[in-house]
Amino acid sequence: MIVFLQSLLSGVLVGGVYALIGIGLTIIFGVMRIINFAHGDLLMVGMYLTFFIFTLLGIDPFLSILVSIPLMFLLGAFLQKVFINRVLNALPQNQILLTIGLGLVMSNTAMLLFTSDYRILTTSYSSGSVSLGGLSISTPLLLSFLITAAITAFLYWFLLKTDIGQAIRATAQDRDAAQLMGINVKRMSVLATGLGAALAGTAGALISPTYYIYPQVGSAFTLKAFVIVVLGGMGSIIGATMGGIIIGVTESLAAVTPFIGSGLKEAVVFLLFLLVLLFRPAGLLGKSRM
Amino acid sequence: MLRARKPARGLAALPLVLAVVATILLCLFPAVVSSPYTLHVMILIFLSVVQGESWNVLGGYTGQYSVGHAAYFGMGAYVTIMLLQFKGIAPWYGMWAAVAAAIVLGLVIGSITFRLRGPYFVLASIAVAEIIRLVTLNWKEVTNGAEGILLSGVPPLKIGETVITDWSSKVPFYYAGLALAVLTILVNYAVQHSKLGYYFQAIREDQDAAHSLGIPLARYKNIALAISAFFTAWSGAFYGLYVGFVDPSTVQTVEVSVSIVLICIIGGIGTILGPVVGSLVLVPLAEALRSNLIADGLFALGLDPTSRTGLFLKENLAHAHVLIYGILVVVVILFMPDGVLGYVKAVTRKRATRTEAA
Amino acid sequence: MQKRIASMLAALLVPALAAAAPVKIGIINSMTGPQAPIGESLTNGMKLAEEDLKAKGIDLQLVWEDDTGKPQVGLSAVEKLASRDNVVGIVGAYTSAVTNAVAKKANDYKVPLVNPVASKEEITRQGYKYVFRVSATTEDYAAILLDMANSLGKAASIAILNENTDFGVSGAKSAKAIAEKRGIKVVFEEAYSPGSPDYRSTLSKVKAASPELVFMVSYVADAILLMRQSREIGLSPKAFLGAGAGFSTDKFASEQEISNAVFSSTQWTPSASWPGAKEFGDRYQKRFGKVPPYHAANAYAALMVMADAASKAGGDREKLAANLRAGKWDGIFGEVKFQDFDGYQGQNKHQMLVEQVQAGKFVTVWPQKFANGKAIYPFPGWKK
Repeated sequence: MIVFLQSLLSGVLVGGVYALIGIGLTIIFGVMRIINFAHGDLLMVGMYLTFFIFTLLGIDPFLSILVSIPLMFLLGAFLQKVFINRVLNALPQNQILLTIGLGLVMSNTAMLLFTSDYRILTTSYSSGSVSLGGLSISTPLLLSFLITAAITAFLYWFLLKTDIGQAIRATAQDRDAAQLMGINVKRMSVLATGLGAALAGTAGALISPTYYIYPQVGSAFTLKAFVIVVLGGMGSIIGATMGGIIIGVTESLAAVTPFIGSGLKEAVVFLLFLLVLLFRPAGLLGKSRM
Repeated sequence: MLRARKPARGLAALPLVLAVVATILLCLFPAVVSSPYTLHVMILIFLSVVQGESWNVLGGYTGQYSVGHAAYFGMGAYVTIMLLQFKGIAPWYGMWAAVAAAIVLGLVIGSITFRLRGPYFVLASIAVAEIIRLVTLNWKEVTNGAEGILLSGVPPLKIGETVITDWSSKVPFYYAGLALAVLTILVNYAVQHSKLGYYFQAIREDQDAAHSLGIPLARYKNIALAISAFFTAWSGAFYGLYVGFVDPSTVQTVEVSVSIVLICIIGGIGTILGPVVGSLVLVPLAEALRSNLIADGLFALGLDPTSRTGLFLKENLAHAHVLIYGILVVVVILFMPDGVLGYVKAVTRKRATRTEAA
Repeated sequence: MQKRIASMLAALLVPALAAAAPVKIGIINSMTGPQAPIGESLTNGMKLAEEDLKAKGIDLQLVWEDDTGKPQVGLSAVEKLASRDNVVGIVGAYTSAVTNAVAKKANDYKVPLVNPVASKEEITRQGYKYVFRVSATTEDYAAILLDMANSLGKAASIAILNENTDFGVSGAKSAKAIAEKRGIKVVFEEAYSPGSPDYRSTLSKVKAASPELVFMVSYVADAILLMRQSREIGLSPKAFLGAGAGFSTDKFASEQEISNAVFSSTQWTPSASWPGAKEFGDRYQKRFGKVPPYHAANAYAALMVMADAASKAGGDREKLAANLRAGKWDGIFGEVKFQDFDGYQGQNKHQMLVEQVQAGKFVTVWPQKFANGKAIYPFPGWKK
């Protein structure tokens, strides 16, 4: 029982960070209908930013997001303006391959600049925990979960209540209609990519204290982000939030289920993904976009 | 319009002649060039052509962009090698079991994923291939898991009592690879020039329209997938026998799937020669970058290897090969969306119309 | 034309020059790709060896090849080295997967191969005549740790947790076999996929099985993650045993909060009493700014042995193989001698060591002969 509760708990906490990665991807997809295969690599860039802000300037990883969010936003906007914008009307496979190429460029540039050494951030609370009725809760994970929750709440407010947010949502719902309504769709695309990159970077910053950093770290998260987004329904932010937590919990519980274990926990996630695609292709909370 | 068509028909014989000449030259190649390294690079090109042409049937003609072909490639390699190493079944029999397994797998995957379209299909194909990889990795009793399987040797190929080859040199692999490459090119040709191919292309252009014309989507998608899986599995079997070692992290990863797709994208998707062009660009490029041939070439041209630029290139060019690969992908997609072949065709066409106008 | 005649004359007149033709050796290593972090240590170790060999007056010419961590690319490298560059011998590769393919091909070409650090048993059990290995085998990583644990007190139970890779799986397999032979009950056994951010659930299962020993096989970053999360959930057995790799890196040791009193098996440490080990450690540290992991020493030793044997072979591969078979070398890696035993051919019987992190530093605690400190046992528990 204690194993189960402990796993459930850490699953939820890790899932919070997954959610953040998924939300970024879903915003980009929603507005441009492009699956960003370089999403994990944006996360990687965020991790390196955090690492250097911490080691060179001594700023705590959780505080460093104040610096990395605007920087990552600019990176995302740049990628959109220079590259992605040119393939908006291209064949879907070309869009996918473009982002794969961009991802390769990012991760290999990181390798040339920083070597492929693993880097680990060690903060005073890296392996700290608080115990709660026999369960232990990782301090850094708890902090990152709380920050994720705050950011998600802010994002909801932004998308629901502000003019720009509503314009982004309108573009996500129907690009052509949005254009007819006088929304500058191109600007929304730049904003959405910037926002998605900033969120990926934030997720990178938040997992830095409990994870490690290397140039190829992104690919595992890219796949996971897809699963999360499809699970929640492409383009749905609430869906991605839920998807993240579901994936976190599924992984964690699969690892302690007899006959599945740590080795196959990812297979369970992919299986869940296929089942959702088959039986609820619109995702748990999305509208059908088949 | 009519005038333009006539020379085109006259030209149709030309590619055929060129293809036959190229094949004959390639057949004679090992007699002239004996360097095993050159033969090895040729074999890698053949392997890449087979992979590309196989994917092309499904991705190019039918428009189903599978990024999960590592599943069939891995199945082909694993079943062939397992049967040979664990059961002692000669690969020319084992290969058929591998192909059958890949087709069955393909049909199962197809029945699940073909209901999905666009990005959903891409993601589903990745997910299925990952599941297969994880199962291979964890089903230790059967697949030897992460440790992989090391082949102790390929048995000699005999007809009756005469030994055709004992596979000890590159040459038999060269001819096997060449035969496979030619075969897959012919299959693409046959597909493009048959009713089947028209159905495939109709599905690619507009699924709903194809459906309303009475083309059973699921059946033809599955036929395309079966053809594609068949030859991809063969390429896997060929790889396994040639390299002599398989493990999940080298034959079943997403990276493998992506590299198969790239062969076609770089060359030109949905054309017979696209994958050939893609292979001719990618394989030598990767090899040259990896082994620092480019830096050596620059030094031979007079760049001082001890100068700062020289040292920098020597240190970093080999490290940068995936980076250059990535830049190439971005450049091709942005500036040659129809691949290198499509780009060349467009340029020559432009020139032709220009001369005609003049 | 004149030039040609001149050079022909020169060749005829100066036979001594021909004899001192450069010793051309190929190196295959994972310089890029997922294995590159450790590949870099190998490169560094071999760079130091290159300096030492040149200082000794050997005209060494190295041809570096990247295998990118993939067997088929390693094959390309062998093909190129053997037939295009015409090297006399090859040193490499890093991973077992690549070495499997490379060793077979090198043996087919009859190009002597000295392998620095790939530890999979099978590599030197194929009856190859031209393949030699400096490195200890995976089994040795587990055996030495359990020997040491046995010397500290009889343990009743063990949990085995390994990453699901070639090295991890074969290490765990050996550990299980040895533990069962010694009557230690294996109460938990699982392979995990490396690179997961969360091992807490797996570790809670280990904790629930309450083993006396926890045996782990992991690479650098996962080793730190596993120990951090062990601390979080309060997993506290009598001893944590790490089979080399991630547990014997300087980075791991420097994480004092979580690395203290963790044992790990290793092929080499700068504190080992082998001649020149300490100097090598200092030099490496000065040059590359980090403490050398054993991989660097393995690579250094492999190239030193290869170059020495090759310099006496005059470019003849058969002679080089004979030299490798007959020779004996002593250096920073202890004695290196390629022998045939227990089904192995051309395998060096390398003495493994067990080290323990004590206050952020590695102390060699086993075997007694090499020890420079006393083991902390049992595990003192986590500081709050």
